[in-house]
Amino acid sequence: MFRNGVPRVESDDDLAHGQSVIIAARWILVVAGLVLAIWNPGGLVELQVAIVVILGLALGNFALHTQVLGKGPSMARVVYAASVADLAAISLLIISGGGFPAAPYVFYLPALLAISVTFRTEVMALYTAAALGAYGLIAVVTASGGDLLTVLIELLVLAAVPVCGNVYWRLERDRRSRAGQQTEVDPLTSQAAEGSWPRPA
Amino acid sequence: MLRNRTTAQEAAEDIFFGQLVMNWARWFVIGAAAILILGTAERTTDLVFGIWPVVGLMAVNFYLHGRRIGERPANPRLIMLASVLDVAVITVVILTGLGAGLGDGIHSPFFVAYYPVVLAFAFVMQPRTTVVYTVAVLAAYAGACVLADGTTVLSSSAELEKLAARLITLAAVGGLGTYFWRIQRRRRHALLAEEPGVANHPAGS
Repeated sequence: MFRNGVPRVESDDDLAHGQSVIIAARWILVVAGLVLAIWNPGGLVELQVAIVVILGLALGNFALHTQVLGKGPSMARVVYAASVADLAAISLLIISGGGFPAAPYVFYLPALLAISVTFRTEVMALYTAAALGAYGLIAVVTASGGDLLTVLIELLVLAAVPVCGNVYWRLERDRRSRAGQQTEVDPLTSQAAEGSWPRPA
Repeated sequence: MLRNRTTAQEAAEDIFFGQLVMNWARWFVIGAAAILILGTAERTTDLVFGIWPVVGLMAVNFYLHGRRIGERPANPRLIMLASVLDVAVITVVILTGLGAGLGDGIHSPFFVAYYPVVLAFAFVMQPRTTVVYTVAVLAAYAGACVLADGTTVLSSSAELEKLAARLITLAAVGGLGTYFWRIQRRRRHALLAEEPGVANHPAGS
């Protein structure tokens, strides 16, 4: 559970703070997705699917947002499930639009970013693998051989964003841990934290 | 000391810790550029000229990563310079269609390289600086698309929609990154303020 005094699982506090990033990312997905869906609709069925998916996300996000505003406790399972719904919704939008090349691909990136700064590394890796698997599968089915390089680059960046987010999440967790430890000894050795850069774990 | 840190000291710590994220982001960009250039070269000259951006970014990242490992972190100016170089290289690749085959401007798949770079910058720099940087990246990408193939982008509703989706999500990544940066700073300040006898953090929030 602990490594160097730092819990290996995300705390309720991590979840509560990260949840607000997830909610913000989802509002961006809802607003931008709706505008873009109406801007240049490909067909009636595609537009119907897009509107149902986006309004569904908006309803779910509203419920989560009111819970956060009401300072209710974070329900981990709900947050996990809502993040699965985000990735599923984006995949559905891509599929309904005919697959690769997919304009909604870019919506994976803020969604994965929000996930990466909320959940612990193992969970982030699972979500990232799921997104990579879903988009990879869509690309395998709908892309032509000449699109292989584009797909590879898109998959690489799909991994890059959550990895960078999680590296930062871990760095900040270590900084908080170190700050807490150093403040404890501060009354006796107030200059202990001065003079040298702390080395991140 | 921790209790009396100034905003400047805290910003310096942000840069020290955060530049690891920048290094990671740049390695991903290097990987993507290498795939693009190696995979699309049709002649040796394509590769001879095309590989230089990859080599250049690798040299920058070796230097910055090495300094960090040696506990001699890069200063804000150097970080800014490297970040501007990242965007310049990505924009040139998009503008010129370096690596040929896959197209330039709006058709270049390399636009995705902006995302990790903007995100890493937002995690490290002050929000105001991040806003300026993100807006500059958006302008650079939109400008590259218009310069490379302005008639297609501006006359086709589908292409314009594609560009808008990319710009919105790129801005969202920068915005969410800086939002999380603020959250983390508030958490650190709250942690210090909770300690008995510790005054409120002078850096503010």
